[in-house]
Amino acid sequence: MIASIARKEFSEIVRDGRFKWTAGIMALLLLTALAAGYQKYSAYMDIQRMSQDQTNAQWLNQGDKNPHAGAHYGNYAFKPAGPLAFFDNGINNYAGTALFMEAHKQNFAIGRPATDQSSIGRFGDLSGAMILQLLMPLLIIFLGFTAFSGERESGTLRQVLSMGVSNRQLLWGKALGIGGVVLLIVGLCVLAGGLALSLTGPSTESESLGARATLMALSYVLYGGIFLFLTLAVSAWAKNARTALMVLIGFWAFAGFLAPKAAVEISKAIHPTPAFGKWMADMRSHQMRGFDGVPPFVRFEQESREIFAEYGAESIAELPVYVGALRLQKFEEYDFPVFEQHYGQLRDSYTNQRRLQDRIGIVAPTLPLRSLSMALAGTDLIRHVNFADAAEAYRRDMVLKVNNYLGEAAASLNTGYGGGNVLIADEAIFAMVPPFRFDSRGLQATLAEHAGNFIALMLWLAAALGLALWSVQRLKVEED
Amino acid sequence: MKRIIISHEARQLFRSGAFRALLLMVAGAVAFAAWSGQRSIDRQVEGANAAIAFEDGRRGKMRADTEQYQAQVAAEGGEYQFASAQHAPGAGPPQGTNAGVVGSTTAKYLRMPPTGLAPFSIGQSDIQLSYVPVSMNPTMYITKDNELENPVNLMTGSFDIAFVVIFLLPIFILAISYDLLSSEKERGTLAMILAHPISLRELMASKIIARAGVLLAGVLVLGIVALLAVGTNLDLADTWARFGLWMAATLLYALFWFAMSVLVNVYGKNSAANGIALAGTWLALVVVVPTLVSLLATTLYPAPSRMELTTAARQAQTEAESTYMARLSEYYYDHLEFVPEGDERAMDFLTVAMANRNAIEKAVRPLYDEFQSQLNLQESLVQRFQFISPAIMMQLALNEISGTSADRYEHFLNQAYDFRVEWSEFFTVKFLQRAPLRPQDYDQLPAFEYREEPFATVLMRLVPSLLGMLVLLTGAILIPFLRLRRYQVATS
Repeated sequence: MIASIARKEFSEIVRDGRFKWTAGIMALLLLTALAAGYQKYSAYMDIQRMSQDQTNAQWLNQGDKNPHAGAHYGNYAFKPAGPLAFFDNGINNYAGTALFMEAHKQNFAIGRPATDQSSIGRFGDLSGAMILQLLMPLLIIFLGFTAFSGERESGTLRQVLSMGVSNRQLLWGKALGIGGVVLLIVGLCVLAGGLALSLTGPSTESESLGARATLMALSYVLYGGIFLFLTLAVSAWAKNARTALMVLIGFWAFAGFLAPKAAVEISKAIHPTPAFGKWMADMRSHQMRGFDGVPPFVRFEQESREIFAEYGAESIAELPVYVGALRLQKFEEYDFPVFEQHYGQLRDSYTNQRRLQDRIGIVAPTLPLRSLSMALAGTDLIRHVNFADAAEAYRRDMVLKVNNYLGEAAASLNTGYGGGNVLIADEAIFAMVPPFRFDSRGLQATLAEHAGNFIALMLWLAAALGLALWSVQRLKVEED
Repeated sequence: MKRIIISHEARQLFRSGAFRALLLMVAGAVAFAAWSGQRSIDRQVEGANAAIAFEDGRRGKMRADTEQYQAQVAAEGGEYQFASAQHAPGAGPPQGTNAGVVGSTTAKYLRMPPTGLAPFSIGQSDIQLSYVPVSMNPTMYITKDNELENPVNLMTGSFDIAFVVIFLLPIFILAISYDLLSSEKERGTLAMILAHPISLRELMASKIIARAGVLLAGVLVLGIVALLAVGTNLDLADTWARFGLWMAATLLYALFWFAMSVLVNVYGKNSAANGIALAGTWLALVVVVPTLVSLLATTLYPAPSRMELTTAARQAQTEAESTYMARLSEYYYDHLEFVPEGDERAMDFLTVAMANRNAIEKAVRPLYDEFQSQLNLQESLVQRFQFISPAIMMQLALNEISGTSADRYEHFLNQAYDFRVEWSEFFTVKFLQRAPLRPQDYDQLPAFEYREEPFATVLMRLVPSLLGMLVLLTGAILIPFLRLRRYQVATS
C-alpha cells in the first residue's frame, strides 16, 4: 500500500508542468554551482602547489647570507583548499591563504579572497552546499505542503482513508514519493558532478575522500528528511494549504537566513572577538614588557649566568656557542608564551563562538548541517586553525635550526669579534630546513569535534518524524 | 468608498493576531540589528583608538627620551647627536634622535571616521580596517592587516539593519499581501464587494495603501528610533540627509515588493500558488541572482591570486637584495645591534635597507595596482548588473548611504597612500642628512585629517541604484494595472 501511494505521489509530481520548471532550474543551478566550484577549486589548488614549490625554492636560493638573516627572509605556508572545497567552499573566502613564517614574529594568514571581491560577494557563494542547504528545503516544501491539506481541500482525503489506508501508511507513502522526487533531482546532479570529478581526477591526495563524501551525503539526506517530515507534519496539521505554506516558508526563512546571522551576533556578544587594533596593541606591549613583566634584554642579563652554566661556562669567552645566536634564540623563546596567550585568546574566542553557534542549532537545523558540511569538506575553522598551528610549529623549528647552526658555526666570534669575520650560509645550509607541508588532522578528529552536530541533526529528524506521526494521528478529514 | 475600504483593511490588519505578531517581529529584528550594528561600530572605534594610542605612545616615549637627552646635553655640555640604529638598548644618544629608526619602527594610524549611519549597514567594514598604519614601509603594508573577525562570522554576514530591510522586510510584506485578492475570491467575498460602486483597481489600491501605510509608518518609526538609539553625529545635517536617503530607498524597495504581490495576484491563481510564486521570486531576486552576479564578476575579472603576488614580491626582494647589498651588509641588514657603536656603516645599512624597500615597492606596485583594477572592473560589472535584482541595488545603495561602500573606502585609501609619501619624506630627509631629531621636530610631524567626499559625489553614485529601483517599481505597478481588466472575479 505504501508503495502504491508513493508511486502515485511520485508520478503526480513528475507529471506536473510546474515540476519540470522547478526541477530544471534547480538542476541548472546545482550543475552551474558544481562546475564553477570545481573550476575555482582546481585553479586555486594549481596556484597553491605552484606557490608552495616556488617559495621552497626561493628559501633555498635566497642568496648567501647570514643564517639568521635567512630566517628573516623566512618562508611561506600556503593553505590547501580542503578535499571537498569545490562543493562547499566554507570559510575559504574569509580566511587567509598565505602565512609568512619569519624570525621573531608569529603572523596571521593574509590574503583573504573576500577583500579582493566586490561587496556583492557578501551575499554568499553559489556553491553546491548553498543550494542544498537553502534551495533543497524550499523545493521539498513546494512539493509537499499540499500533501494532506490539498487532498483535504479537494475532498480526496476522505476517499483514500475510506479505502482502509491507515494514516501512517499514507504518511510513509507520501514521504517516499516526495523524497524520491527530490532524490531524483539532487541525486542525479550530484552523481553527474561526482562522475565529472572522478573522470578529471581529483588532484589532492585523497584525504579519505570517499568517507568524507559518504558522510556528507548522509548529512544532507538527514537534513532533507527533516524538512520532508516537517512539511508533511505541517501539511497534516494546518487548516488549509496556504496556512501550511506560510508556516513552512516562515520556518525555512528563519532556519536558513535569520537564525545563522542571529546566532553569530549572539555568539559575538557572549564571546567577543577583540578588535584588531586592541589585540595588536595588547600583544605588542606585552611582548615589549616581557611575559612576566621583565623585558627580554633585562631578562637575558638576569638569566645569563644560568644560561652560560648550561654550557658549563662562566663567561661569554668560555661559551662553546656564539652568544649572539644564543641570545636570538632566547629572545625567540621569551616570546612564545606571549604569542600563545594572545593568539590563544583569539582562537578561543573563535572556538567558543563556533560551539555556541552549533548549540543554537537546536532551534534551526541549518546551523549544525552547515558546520558539519564545512568540516567534511575540509573548509572549516578547525582546519584553518590546524593550518596556522602547523605553520607556527614549522616557524619555530626553522628559527631554532638556523640559530643553532649560527651558534655552533660562529662560536669563534665570541672572542675575536671584528669586522670581516662574519658567517655566511649558503644553499646547502638552508637545506637543513625541510619544505613546509601541511598534513591536516585526520577525518576522525573532525568527526569527534562534530559529533554534537550529527546528534543535533538526528534529534531534529526524530522530532520532525514524531511531529509528522502525531499530526497524521489527529488528521482531520474535512475542512472546518 | 475607497476610504471606507482603506480604514476597514487597516482595522482588520490590526485585529489579526498574525499581523501584530509580524509587526512585533519586524520591531524585534530592527532592535536586534541596531544593537549588533552598534556593537560592530563600537568595536571598530575601540580598535582604532587602541592602535593609535599604541603607536603614538611609542613615538611619545621616543620624544620623551630626546627631551631627557636634550636636558642632559644642556646640563653637561656637548653636542646633541644623531644615534646609530640599534636593536639593543645601549649608551649614547637615544634612538629617538634617528629619524630613520622612528619612521620605520613606529607607524601612524590613519582613520576613516564612521558616518552617522554606519551601524545601519556594515558592508565590508567587518573585514577591511577603517584604520590603517602608515610608516616608511612600502605601500603594501598599509592594507596588509585585516580586522580579526572569526571567518565563520564573516561568511555568515552581519545582522544589520540593511539585512532586515533587504532580506526580512520583503518576507513580511509578502506575508501580509500574497493573498490580497485571491483570499477574497476564495471566500467568495470579492464578487460581493465589487457589486458596490468600486472598481477592482480601486479595491486593489485601497488594500495596498492600507497595508503599505501601516507597514511603512512602522518602518519610519522604527528607523527614527534606531537612528536616535545608534546613530551618531545627530547634530550634523549630513546624518539627517543620509537618513532621508535611507528612508527613500527603503520606501522604493518596500513598494517594489508590494507591487510584486499585486502582480502575482492579478494572474488569478489561488492563494497557495501565489505564495509559491512570491517565495520563488524572493529567493531568485534576493538570494540566487546576487550570487550569480558575484560569480560572474569573479569569473570574468578574477583578482590575481594573493599567493602568486606573495611569491612575486619575494622574488623582487631577493633581486633587490642581491643588487644592493654586499654580503656583509646583508648580515647587518636585519640586526643592526651587531654594528659597533659609532660605526659610520650603521647608517649605511639602514640606508641600504631603505633603498631595498624602495626597490621592492617599485617591483610590487604594478601587481598591487592590478588587484585594484580587477576589483574596479568587478565593481563596475556589479554596477551594470545590479538592475536585474532590487536586492543588489538596495545593498549598493545602503552601503553608499551608510558610508561603508567600496568607493568611500578607496577614497580613504588614496588619501592614506598620499599621506604615506608625505610622512616618509619627513623622516627620509632628516635621516639622509643625519640630522638628529629633536623634541620640537616631533611636533612638526605631518598631520592627517580624513577629508570626507562631497555629498554630491555620494548622491551621484546613488542615482543609478535609486533610479533603477524606481523603474523596476513603475514596471511592477504598470503591468498589473493593465492586466486587472481581465481579472476573473469569481472562480469558475
